[in-house]
Amino acid sequence: MPLSHREISPIETKVNGRQNVLEKRGKQVEFRRSGDLEEALTSLAELGDKAQVLAGGTDVMIQLERGEIFPETLVHIERVEGMRDIAENGRLTLGALATHIDLAQSPVLCDRYKSVAHAASLIGGWQTQAVGTIGGNVCNASPAADLLPPLLVHGTNVLLVSKDRGEREVSLADFVVGRRTIAREPDELVTGFSLDLSDGRTADVYKKVGRRGAMEVAIVGLAIRLSVDQAGTINDARIAVCSVAPVPFRAQAAEQALLGTKANGKETGSAAALLLEQVEPIDDVRATANYRRMVLPRIFESAVADCYLLAAKDLS
Amino acid sequence: MNLASTSTLVNGRSVTIIGDGATTLLDFLRDSLGLRGTKEGCSEGECGACTVLVDGRPVDSCLYPALAAEGRIIETIEGMDEGSHLSSIQAALVATGGIQCGFCTPGFVMTLTALLQKQPNPNRNEIVSALAGNLCRCTGYSQIVEAAVSLSELEEES
Repeated sequence: MPLSHREISPIETKVNGRQNVLEKRGKQVEFRRSGDLEEALTSLAELGDKAQVLAGGTDVMIQLERGEIFPETLVHIERVEGMRDIAENGRLTLGALATHIDLAQSPVLCDRYKSVAHAASLIGGWQTQAVGTIGGNVCNASPAADLLPPLLVHGTNVLLVSKDRGEREVSLADFVVGRRTIAREPDELVTGFSLDLSDGRTADVYKKVGRRGAMEVAIVGLAIRLSVDQAGTINDARIAVCSVAPVPFRAQAAEQALLGTKANGKETGSAAALLLEQVEPIDDVRATANYRRMVLPRIFESAVADCYLLAAKDLS
Repeated sequence: MNLASTSTLVNGRSVTIIGDGATTLLDFLRDSLGLRGTKEGCSEGECGACTVLVDGRPVDSCLYPALAAEGRIIETIEGMDEGSHLSSIQAALVATGGIQCGFCTPGFVMTLTALLQKQPNPNRNEIVSALAGNLCRCTGYSQIVEAAVSLSELEEES
């Protein structure tokens, strides 16, 4: 029997795919293509909060299916030109449509923004990384969003634009205001992210704890960025965590505790204690709050040790 | 009505996609085109049973909007055979016993096809890493990984 695939006879086909879901939802969702930024902004200005921006779809399509969101229109931006670039121009700019694979394989990120590249490589499997975008990961604002801790330690600003009010830049810490809540106005589009330069004796690390090595939502995620002076003393320390509070955040008290030190065990231990004071973990299907409190100091200490070695590698 | 239509290539054939924004590529392939080789497992991007190739990239078709496929090249398991022969990865899965119930197999074939197109001689780590998004509850993965290893010309380090 030949193995050739079956004939697809009718070229015109009827829609019966998600009929049951369509019935449950009561109405259909418009799909609006955006060929360029102008079109996307015009759609958002017209539709406001009736629109849901859609790029790779890996979060939006699940939420649509589950009935967690009820947009009238999906504004599809996946093909907007010029929003996928990774470029250095005083700061580092990441286009909102850069996919997780783009980030994980970018030479500049793998060289000097390792925490970003590494976190992107841990988001879902190849199927998710191929189409999922940094803009989507940030705007979905999950408490467990892998990219938020690394972006927070790099002093990231979110770049937004709207048809009527033009461009706006807001710090990521001010942009993610709550669990799955962001400070984007309904007519605005996130076009990219602007990160502090990372050069000289600066290094960064992302550590993630999950139940298995891949396809995991973080039980705890932690990013750290350290800079050291000629003597190997830490003169800039930045720490951010996810999955231990409703919103990923920078742990300033712990950062202060590392300043002026060479990250020895005692000082790192004190910083870990300060970090623990700031977290509000919960019990969920992945882990208990208690486990999260137990594991956080461990990955913090190993992240500090790894990051310090990388930052100070040219000294010795 | 918010139905829209657009055209795309599925296994080399030009087809018209009609759907609303929530119609997934998986629904379109299975229910509109009758291409039931692509399986629906979890419907939320965890299991990879619905993997198809979109412009050569493995994508969970349960999460990909059908209308986003406009003008793209879609490949499904039905397009994998080479005339009357199995593709090399299909034949390797048969040879190593990488199939039991078969439900996950189309997804594995698609992901491994994408891997071998990108990297004809992958090492074991690259194979395991590429397969992270495909779940199999029968084989324990070893035979599936062996199938891909058997196609790679890399010398195996013992």
